Amino acid sequence: MITISNLVKSFGPQTVLQGIDLTVTEKEVVVIIGASGSGKSTLLRCINFLEVFDKGEISIQNKKIVPEETNLNKVREEVGMVFQHFNLFPHKNVLENIIEAPVHVKKMDKAMAAEKALQLLEKVGLRDKAYAYPSNLSGGQKQRVAIARALAMEPRIMLFDEPTSALDPELVGEVLQVMKQLAKEGMTMVVVTHEMGFAREVADRIVFMGDGKILEEGPPEQFFTNPQHAKARQFLNRVL
Amino acid sequence: MIIILDIFLNTLDVFPRAALLTLRLTVTSLLLGCFIGLIIAFFRISSNKLLNYVATVYIGLIRGTPLIVQIAILYFGIASIVTFSQFWAGALALAIHNGAYIAEIFRGAIQAVDRGQMEAARSLGMSYPLAMRRIVLPQAFKFSIPPLGNQFIIGLKDSSLVAYVGMAELWGSGLSEAASNYRQLESYIVVGFYYLALVMLFSFLLKKLEKRMSLDTKLLD
Ligand SMILES: Nc1ncnc2c1ncn2[C@@H]1O[C@H](COP(=O)(O)OP(=O)(O)OP(=O)(O)O)[C@@H](O)[C@H]1O
Ligand SMILES: [Mg+2]
Repeated sequence: MITISNLVKSFGPQTVLQGIDLTVTEKEVVVIIGASGSGKSTLLRCINFLEVFDKGEISIQNKKIVPEETNLNKVREEVGMVFQHFNLFPHKNVLENIIEAPVHVKKMDKAMAAEKALQLLEKVGLRDKAYAYPSNLSGGQKQRVAIARALAMEPRIMLFDEPTSALDPELVGEVLQVMKQLAKEGMTMVVVTHEMGFAREVADRIVFMGDGKILEEGPPEQFFTNPQHAKARQFLNRVL
Repeated sequence: MIIILDIFLNTLDVFPRAALLTLRLTVTSLLLGCFIGLIIAFFRISSNKLLNYVATVYIGLIRGTPLIVQIAILYFGIASIVTFSQFWAGALALAIHNGAYIAEIFRGAIQAVDRGQMEAARSLGMSYPLAMRRIVLPQAFKFSIPPLGNQFIIGLKDSSLVAYVGMAELWGSGLSEAASNYRQLESYIVVGFYYLALVMLFSFLLKKLEKRMSLDTKLLD
């Protein structure tokens, strides 16, 4: 589904991604973990081409994406993204947030888009909030709307960048629940998170990053019970 | 006091019409100025070096010279290239002046919108112009209303300077009135009242707009 090879990205003199190779197959849930500053967000943002990388290749569905020659907007339609700080559009209500891109990018009929949006809201348990504004929602509700908004474009893959890090502890569960459901339905997902319980339960594969490299990867059972890399052991000691 | 009232009553055929001209001149130049300002603001935040340079030079020139000099240069400059009516030449000169300040207001407001908004929009497949138009600008517009209101009031008062290229707006009429009745002080006081009334009208309308917007902005995070 996605093949990343030798991805290199620098910010000025600092090389944040030092040659990443990663393949994500269809319906797979990959959880990326690692210390702060290890380049997890940058990697996700490169997959979405929100960040311009210096070297390497990204192929989506066996099509190599050359940023200069590709309509990246089309690529992004297929790659949904959920952010740590939700980034809902504050001047639009929940329903308008969700139908914005389907109507204005995909040129979907407004009534049809709204109907679909209500179904998505049903799915994330927020049908009754369709006409609320983001500022009147809790963090957990905002993030569930953000997930519905991304899903409205019917992406083939969903990227999550620490979707629960900005939430009060008691609101984390409701968002993880939606993500679990999504995984169960067969969505291909790449998730950056510090929620080790989620990683263990939902991930098909754990990718451990450090200093801009992938230091270790493997099935969660193996990674959590028998980490190979010294840094991974250190990291797990700190977070578990 | 009596003299002031006397002049006020005796100029009722002149000053209200002149005040209307001032109002038309101001509104026209500020609307044009907003248009120029928006374009220059885009130049300023664009990654294109040339556009950036054009905007920086334009803003630098306007900020670095007195308005009266700009009006004189633009007025006679415009007049020597194309024949505009006096009104349009004056309005254009004021618009070019106000446009520079409005550009900085818009630039600040656009940059005050959280970067995450643009990123979220782009991640949904929206193009840059679409995301700008549908997501960033509506929010930036709200941020820009208070400083824009301020600039509008400055623009109204600054329009008096076109009197010096021969326009008979409020200040221009005041000058000729004083010259003919030999009551300079009293005449200028009457003119001052008219400006004050216009500014109060502007402030009132702006406050109303701001209030309506702040009802909406409560919805902002
Ligand atoms: N736009 C930017 N400009 C300059 N440096 C940046 C930029 N974005 C990220 N960095 C730097 O790149 C490095 C990796 O950042 P990144 O956000 O990818 O880390 P992360 O693994 O997601 O960390 P966290 O767990 O804190 O979110 C950090 O040192 C960060 O300071
Ligand atoms: Mg991060």
